[in-house]
Amino acid sequence: MDQSKIRNFSIIAHIDHGKSTLADRILEITEAVSARDMRAQLLDSMDLERERGITIKAQAVRLLHDGFELNLIDTPGHVDFTYEVSRSLAACEGAILLVDAAQGLEAQTLANYHLARDAGLTIVPALNKIDLPAAEPDKRADELGKLLDRDPDAILRVSAKTGAGVQELLRAVTDLVPPPVGNADAPLQALIFDSAFDTYRGVITYVRVKEGRLPSRATIKMFATGITSEAEEAGVMAPEAMPVDALGPGEVGYLVTGLKDVHQAKVGDTITIAGKAGASEPLPGYREPKPMVWSGLFPADGSDYSALREALDKLKLSDSALVYEPETSQALGFGFRVGFLGLLHMDIVRERLEREFDLELISTAPNVEFHVFKAGEETIVHNPAEMPPGGDYERVEEPVVYATIITPSDYLGAVFELCQGRRGEQVDMEYLTPERIEVHYMLPLAEIVFDFFDQLKSRTRGYASLDYEPWGFQESKLVRVDVLLHGEPVDAFSSVIHRDKAYDYGKKMTERLKELIPRQLFDVAVQAAIGSKVIARETVKAKRKDVLAKCYGGDITRKRKLLETQKKGKERMRRVGKVDVPQDAFIQALRVDDKAAAKR
Amino acid sequence: MSDAGIYVHIPFCLTRCGYCDFNAYAGLDDLQPRYLQALLKEAELAAPGWAGTPFVSVFLGGGTPTTMAPADLRSLLVHLRDRFEMVADAEVTVEANPDTVDVGLLGALHDAGYDRLSMGAQSFDPGVLASLERIHQPASVRAAVGAARQAGYHNVNLDLIYGTEGETIESWERTLEETIALTPEHISAYALTIEPATPLGRQVAAGTRAAPDPDLQADMFGLACELLAGAGYRHYEISNWAKPGFECRHNLGYWERRPYVGLGAGAHAYRDDVRWWNVRPPETYMEKVEAGELPIGGSESLDPSDAYLEEVFLKLRILEGVPASWFEPDRYAPFVASGLLEDEFGQLVPTERGMLLLNELVLGLTG
Repeated sequence: MDQSKIRNFSIIAHIDHGKSTLADRILEITEAVSARDMRAQLLDSMDLERERGITIKAQAVRLLHDGFELNLIDTPGHVDFTYEVSRSLAACEGAILLVDAAQGLEAQTLANYHLARDAGLTIVPALNKIDLPAAEPDKRADELGKLLDRDPDAILRVSAKTGAGVQELLRAVTDLVPPPVGNADAPLQALIFDSAFDTYRGVITYVRVKEGRLPSRATIKMFATGITSEAEEAGVMAPEAMPVDALGPGEVGYLVTGLKDVHQAKVGDTITIAGKAGASEPLPGYREPKPMVWSGLFPADGSDYSALREALDKLKLSDSALVYEPETSQALGFGFRVGFLGLLHMDIVRERLEREFDLELISTAPNVEFHVFKAGEETIVHNPAEMPPGGDYERVEEPVVYATIITPSDYLGAVFELCQGRRGEQVDMEYLTPERIEVHYMLPLAEIVFDFFDQLKSRTRGYASLDYEPWGFQESKLVRVDVLLHGEPVDAFSSVIHRDKAYDYGKKMTERLKELIPRQLFDVAVQAAIGSKVIARETVKAKRKDVLAKCYGGDITRKRKLLETQKKGKERMRRVGKVDVPQDAFIQALRVDDKAAAKR
Repeated sequence: MSDAGIYVHIPFCLTRCGYCDFNAYAGLDDLQPRYLQALLKEAELAAPGWAGTPFVSVFLGGGTPTTMAPADLRSLLVHLRDRFEMVADAEVTVEANPDTVDVGLLGALHDAGYDRLSMGAQSFDPGVLASLERIHQPASVRAAVGAARQAGYHNVNLDLIYGTEGETIESWERTLEETIALTPEHISAYALTIEPATPLGRQVAAGTRAAPDPDLQADMFGLACELLAGAGYRHYEISNWAKPGFECRHNLGYWERRPYVGLGAGAHAYRDDVRWWNVRPPETYMEKVEAGELPIGGSESLDPSDAYLEEVFLKLRILEGVPASWFEPDRYAPFVASGLLEDEFGQLVPTERGMLLLNELVLGLTG
């Protein structure tokens, strides 16, 4: 294909602003898929994505339209995957910035816009959902025009649902987005913007050829890992996989790499030809995936430990961001400390483990990474139980994020209150319109991994939106709070908390556990402590009655079975010192504040 | 052959009470003549299997056996004596609802050979009776006991239930005192148990009624132990007290794992580590018997570990206790140390606190 006729573009939008629907409509209009084969939201291929209405894995589709080759590159729609979004955008020359004409600009609209602008992309703005009665296209066009410094009248108006204006939007893409530049004779540089693992074909990467040609069969080299491999097939998704002889400069497609582990072909890495014909430099912008949130995962049934390990090993093949190391908990037995890109990633991994591998898991409360400084040495702690107790260190640093919140002005007070309560520091704020405000805060990540998003939504009746990006580490007054049952610390309940919030946390945990721990034959003290100092205490009073009232001829069998059931229940309990704790108590006590992740 | 018992189930009741999960039905009284014939026939079918077994007790339970005519109950007992090898001084109990008895009826039953009368008094607090959906008044219990004495009964049991919603420890104390004042030979006092498959169970599950407070029930149990002992009753099973010599022979059979035959819908039988039971619905029961077959609905064979578990929990229930030599010392020593078991010359006997935690004892001992 003539390079001047190629257009590589993405659609960027806030969640639910209609990105997937627009992609479907474009596929339909370009007849890449017949209406009969059309499943709603075709690009979202994983079940979980379909259920949640979000896109996790970026993919690319080649479309032929009006003599142009259009490569539509899908981007993940979640804050956990900012880096992956940036790599998808790096594969494009342009982006459709899609805004819901009823909702207007949201936090992710801005975050994605900034990413696209920084990547030097041509922005094609469009207002979506103009068919909705609540749409206010004029007002939204003003807002968007102000952001982009453009004439509001020039902003296209479409309905991805009905198809209205989509033809015009495609024309704008071909008119405005520049063709790729790249020299077919230069050494190969192909950007990996996504990778997947196929049971039969191994690692498949999605690539954008920047310079040179990527032949169907070649010995390739990955820059970041230095690994070479015999690639087996290059092709394009049209939208089904279609092998080609080679991918030329500016083209987008897939490559069956011949590798067996996605960690050898990482998103953002550069593929070249092995040996002297290869490029000497990779493309800029590669970054190692970095877990932000950690959680201990333990099989509810201890004998499932090796099954859990195998499941994680399998997931790792297709998820290059997943990291884990074995962990032993006194309370929960053998398991793994697992690192995730964010809460959504954590939720997805956990659900896949439970759903695809049929494992019942107990997971500890998510925590962030802490940097502990002691005697001039820095230790990185991923598990609260490894934090030195009682302030036995010089200082601790925790990760902070730069958060963007867009809220109707009516709820500004509520947003301030929430952020202040979460140790946030306001950076600045700006009126997008008289009714809508963009606020920036520096917030400790630890404050967000709990129910921040839920709280934001409930305090603003669902109107505020949030996006954030990592912004380094800062020193904080953090302490480790332990929970003790009958004097025995329960490592799974240890948490690292800001000193000012330790009492509230201790009180909340002890009260909750008091309800969850069944009465035993003795009084059980439930305590929260910082080092040796107890900060909260509840008592589970000793059980006084556990006897069956009646036992006559017809009852004996039933009563024996009740006793056997009770015995099995006891066997399934975890023993902490002398105290029997049901599995469920761990699940309930630890799984309280993570609903936020599921909703995002 | 060890002494055996006969249980006969009469599934008819005037009304159904909200807490009761027995195999009992209101409004099926029309079936009574046919049901009686079925009982007689079943006795004929079952008796050959029990040849050579001495029977020391009969227990007519329900349901409400006295919903059936005294003449019918008389011919039933005559028939049982005819078919089974009953000892001359066999204990013969009939359950009755205090509301449905008078001197005439009780006299007829006594004449027929029913020499032990067991009545559901439940409470002397009208509020508690209403809460249990019992239709009788406290006064009918007093009248019924009087009538029983007049009819010649010297062995009367009253059933009590404690821990009903709204019942206070003071109310329970009055109930115990009123009961003692009637001088029954035997008292059964049961902590109200919420059975899931009852109207009450569904209300508790739905949260429209409170579940009994186990601590209050524990206090009530303690009060019963104290007051009944003071009145000369011997505590011989978790929920049963009797004047010396009036322990229920039939029920002891269950707890001592002696054999019993069960006649009637849903009745259970047991012999030599095998337990079997009849089909529950009265209609199905009658059809099977009429077809000339034993109406067995199911059975189980106890393996040694089942039998051992039953042996331990039943022996602990009748406060006879279990030999310490059955267990490793580290299994029972903590319970002795914490005052739940007493080691009486090598026999482990539950204390009053231990009785209330009997399930824990059983699980802890048998591991």
